[in-house]
Amino acid sequence: MAEVSLLEFGAALAAIAAAGAVASRVGLSVIPLYVVGGVLVGPSVLGSVDLPPFSAVPHVSAAAIDYITLLAEIGIVLLLFFLGLEFSLDRLLENRRKLTAVGLLDVGVNFPVGVAIGLVLGWSVLEALLLGGIVYISSSAVITKSLIDLGWIADAESEPILGTLVFEDLFIAVYLAVVSSLVLGGGELNETLRDVAVAVGFLLVLVAAAHYGSGWLGRVLDVGSNEAFVLRTLGITVPVAGAALALGVSEAVAAFFVGMGFSDTDHVERLERLLSPVRDVFAALFFFWIGLNTDPRLVAATAGLLAAAVVLTTPTKLVSGFLSGRLYGLEDRRALRVGTSMVTRGEFSLIIATTAAAGTTRVMTEVIPAFAVGYVLVMSILGTVIMQYTGALEGLVLRDRSETAG
Amino acid sequence: MTVYESDLPGVGKKFEVDLNDGSRLVIVIHNTGKRELYRRQSDDADSEKLFELSDKLARQVGTIMEGAYFQPIRTDTIETVLDENSLIEWVKLTADSPLAGQTLADAQVRQRTGASVIAIRRGDETLTNPGGETELRPEDTLIVLGTREECQEFTELVGDSA
Repeated sequence: MAEVSLLEFGAALAAIAAAGAVASRVGLSVIPLYVVGGVLVGPSVLGSVDLPPFSAVPHVSAAAIDYITLLAEIGIVLLLFFLGLEFSLDRLLENRRKLTAVGLLDVGVNFPVGVAIGLVLGWSVLEALLLGGIVYISSSAVITKSLIDLGWIADAESEPILGTLVFEDLFIAVYLAVVSSLVLGGGELNETLRDVAVAVGFLLVLVAAAHYGSGWLGRVLDVGSNEAFVLRTLGITVPVAGAALALGVSEAVAAFFVGMGFSDTDHVERLERLLSPVRDVFAALFFFWIGLNTDPRLVAATAGLLAAAVVLTTPTKLVSGFLSGRLYGLEDRRALRVGTSMVTRGEFSLIIATTAAAGTTRVMTEVIPAFAVGYVLVMSILGTVIMQYTGALEGLVLRDRSETAG
Repeated sequence: MTVYESDLPGVGKKFEVDLNDGSRLVIVIHNTGKRELYRRQSDDADSEKLFELSDKLARQVGTIMEGAYFQPIRTDTIETVLDENSLIEWVKLTADSPLAGQTLADAQVRQRTGASVIAIRRGDETLTNPGGETELRPEDTLIVLGTREECQEFTELVGDSA
């Protein structure tokens, strides 16, 4: 690894901070702007310009990206750790009938669309499954923030929205475990089966450890000092995730189960309070890192696929969300809000794309990551905007409905 | 009173309380400790955000609402504690009180309860040291001095129409 100056890494952090400032200024989610910031200061844009004054600006070199990769991985680990931390099996079982209904509706409508697009393009089944995951999973981070910003969090529509997200969280944990072992497994059937068996075995051990070890975790975190508290949490979570990765198991899924183990302790609120900023910093580095690795020309090359995916998967989420709202007994107006909320895709689509990038075919290493960046940029902005203009959409869609009904 | 409680995964908890005017108070407690208060006029209406409080501020406001800082007075009786056992009490006469229309001497307040009427608030004026001939009227507020038991007996005498 070449020398990386502190100045170079500093420039990266400054770019992330600037992207965040722009996001809050224009009222958009930070995720697309972190990605765009990474693209702009990365080797493909600023790094490829050899003219003064641009060549004098410290851009982020390929060597620096190697360092940031490690930090980005911690970002993935902490994103999934928080999912596990906030995931409650009891809550899922309590409302299992409604949650299962809306969850299955959501996955049943949206996942096959992505798979079908992949198969039509002549991709392998694994590649199509990866595309299915990318277009299926909505963005918990962006949607939750929009719900709070719009005040919908206080109304009945928040229940099916957050319920569907809970189901998606569980689905994504299982899904990542399976596809990552398939991606890393190569292709030989025997090898793949063995890898899947190792993955499932390791995760079962983790689930058992999370279940029986929560008493121990609770005692470990029983410290007054915030510093020791944060360090102990990271000192348990990151090594377990790293061990998973060394065994060929998704580090993200391992982190999810570690988070679940912590969710049974009495420290959940303190974990959320103290570790949220840590997660946000590393997650920002992850989104930025995605941008650094993105060549805008490759994204442009996927424009056809991108357009098809946006046109097909926006209405599917609207419909599945609307029907989910109806399943919860909401009136049309509120059910429509459920639909518009679910359109936003974000962090998990990018995590799936990162998993795909470890594969061997050109589709997995080049097309899917580039597509995912373009797709998340469009869908996170489109989703946020559609939510803000649900009122106008309401007049349009629901008036037509009542006219045809009457 | 019914309090509706629901989980908001990834956000916190939500509590809803029915208010007397048919609207509903919605309190969202974030995992970060922030409280947001909304009011929903009716079931169909969208909640309108009233304000938000930090964790610390919410707790302080909470103790004020609970009455730990200051107890509002009840209008019919007020009391001031002088020492462990003596107090001054303000008692309002209603129209159907058995004492209404009697003079202080006829009412035999001290003989029957042990408490003394030391002043009467009538409208805007205060009659201090009222004599036995003073007539008690509905809407008068009698200010009585006595032990806790005596004041208790007096309140019963004034209120008890039997």
